[in-house]
Amino acid sequence: MRKPTINRYSILSLLAPVFGFVTAMIILLIIVIAIGKNPGEAVAAILRMTTSSASRFGTVVSQAIPLYIAGIAVAFAFKGGVFNIGVEGQYFVGGLVGAIAGIYLKLPSIIHIPVVVLFAMAGGALWAAIPAYLKVKRGVHEVITTIMFNNIAIYLVNYLVNVPLSGFTGGESLEPQTKAIQSTALFGKLNGFFQALGWKIGNHVYLDYSLIVAIVMGFIVWFVLFKTRYGFDVRAVGTALDASHFAGIRIGRVQIGTFLMSGALAGLIGLQEIFAIRGYYTYEIAAGVGFDGIAIALIGRNNPIGVVFAALLFSFLKQAGYGLQLYVGIANSVSYVITGLMILIIVIANEVMTRYIRRLRRQEAG
Amino acid sequence: MDIFLAFLLRGIQVSAPIAFASLGAVFSERGGVVNIGLEGTMIVTTFAVVWGSITFNSSLVGVIIAIIAGTLIAAIHAVATITYKVDQIVSGVAINILALGISRFLSQNIFGQETQTPFNSNVPPAPFGVNIYALLLIPIAIIAWFVLYKTVFGLRLRSVGENPESADTVGINVHMMRYAGVLISGAMCGLSAATLYPSQWVSGMTGGRGFIALAAMIFGRWHPIGAVLASMLFGYAETFRIMFETQIPIPGQFVQMFPYVLAVVVLAGIVGKARAPAADGLPYEKGED
Repeated sequence: MRKPTINRYSILSLLAPVFGFVTAMIILLIIVIAIGKNPGEAVAAILRMTTSSASRFGTVVSQAIPLYIAGIAVAFAFKGGVFNIGVEGQYFVGGLVGAIAGIYLKLPSIIHIPVVVLFAMAGGALWAAIPAYLKVKRGVHEVITTIMFNNIAIYLVNYLVNVPLSGFTGGESLEPQTKAIQSTALFGKLNGFFQALGWKIGNHVYLDYSLIVAIVMGFIVWFVLFKTRYGFDVRAVGTALDASHFAGIRIGRVQIGTFLMSGALAGLIGLQEIFAIRGYYTYEIAAGVGFDGIAIALIGRNNPIGVVFAALLFSFLKQAGYGLQLYVGIANSVSYVITGLMILIIVIANEVMTRYIRRLRRQEAG
Repeated sequence: MDIFLAFLLRGIQVSAPIAFASLGAVFSERGGVVNIGLEGTMIVTTFAVVWGSITFNSSLVGVIIAIIAGTLIAAIHAVATITYKVDQIVSGVAINILALGISRFLSQNIFGQETQTPFNSNVPPAPFGVNIYALLLIPIAIIAWFVLYKTVFGLRLRSVGENPESADTVGINVHMMRYAGVLISGAMCGLSAATLYPSQWVSGMTGGRGFIALAAMIFGRWHPIGAVLASMLFGYAETFRIMFETQIPIPGQFVQMFPYVLAVVVLAGIVGKARAPAADGLPYEKGED
């Protein structure tokens, strides 16, 4: 008797994201009509940009990689009751620490690549350490400290890239940047592998080693959270602080661990851009991914599998924006409008649905 | 002496955008709603003030439009968090993304450029070289203090943020008071925009001031005067950098990060004394459903 009801409830709770996406798309079409463009052409442009070929869809997957890592970084923190708004700063610092290992260490490729990944994680965790300490030991709310640390990170990496680590040669690019990362640390592409499997993606698409990193980290997060004693403690602290305390869980220690793990994951967000696309570090790497991660974690219900879909959805919307700009001449900023609205509609629909389910349960209980 | 006076006046100008947003945050959080969407709200109001001033050829109309725009954006946050009890941080994050899109999209479709507007010559008057709204900062801060601590409205707003159950029991409309707090925070972002740089909108010009305003509010212990003083600390630190950067023997980036480091140090130090309203961040649900 019990099982089917639970399934029915979980299907109901899946409705919110679907509803949010559909509503956001309808609003998009209304905006398109309002500025005097053809909605049919807009839909065609979105599909053309995202799904019309293996390469186009490959690009959606490629751009979902950093978003996915951001999503699981935030989700892990959420699970332990920690609100990590500092993912943004953690990946700027983590990426730089990883890049330093890539520039200055001399190692064979098979060791160098795992080393830069570990350095990036260490850098991200380092940047999360002080907010974690202040939260647990001094009771300073992490939302404020991590926001401050985001800003500190921006100026810190700006200084480091411009002064001590500068590799600026005055040649082809005016962009402030570090020296080039050694070839042994660069991320190769997996395109050949996918082509052999029959997925005809072009060589220009970036499906690089960061995809492996994302998959491995997703698995680790799932395993730690759901298959280990520590993960049980994390989830207990995240859902019932008082009960965990009485159950003898050392809350402070668990929360510091959660925070550091979240920061370590965040450190990996920039890998694709730094090690596969650019081959050097600059503070001009894509900003805002940390904040996207908050929404992605939420829409993916803080579940490593759910976050896959949420990250693909965000990537899809970004590409849809570029498609609208390229083929119909609509400013691609419309994708931010749609993304913001979609998040709001999903979270509101979630609340409405949760209340509805609670009422159903109460009725069933009699 | 001249340079000192220039520093004082410039500091008011630089502090005002942060201080107004921070005052707004005090009202929102005293009512129990965390508004991390202030940054996004400021992005929209800074666009609105320029658009309004150009379109209606009047700086006053521009400021009024900015206040209305800020209130509307805050209304989204209010509906989501108060009526639908959505997580307040998440709603704020969504508003920040949405606001970035709205301002750029409107700029593209109205002015043909996505990341900046044309120059606006209808700027507010500036006696002593200081934006007139910035000069109103101190009186407005005193009014805010008076409203919050000396009026029935203020008492009710604070009670709703401290203990919504009791407030409800004595007949205070919890949701309505919270709406008021959040909407005031949006309106205040209109004044922020009026003082930031009303002669042109450029994407990214708010530069995290909405977040700084939140820190200033906590730093100022959720008190209007405290929030304004904390904002002025940030503002004057920034002014010092702007005016004397070339004469300071340390790299500019460290001078720029100083206010943020200061905020962390101070927050770590004053804890225990700084206490958020008890029901800050928590949705209120009447009875059972």
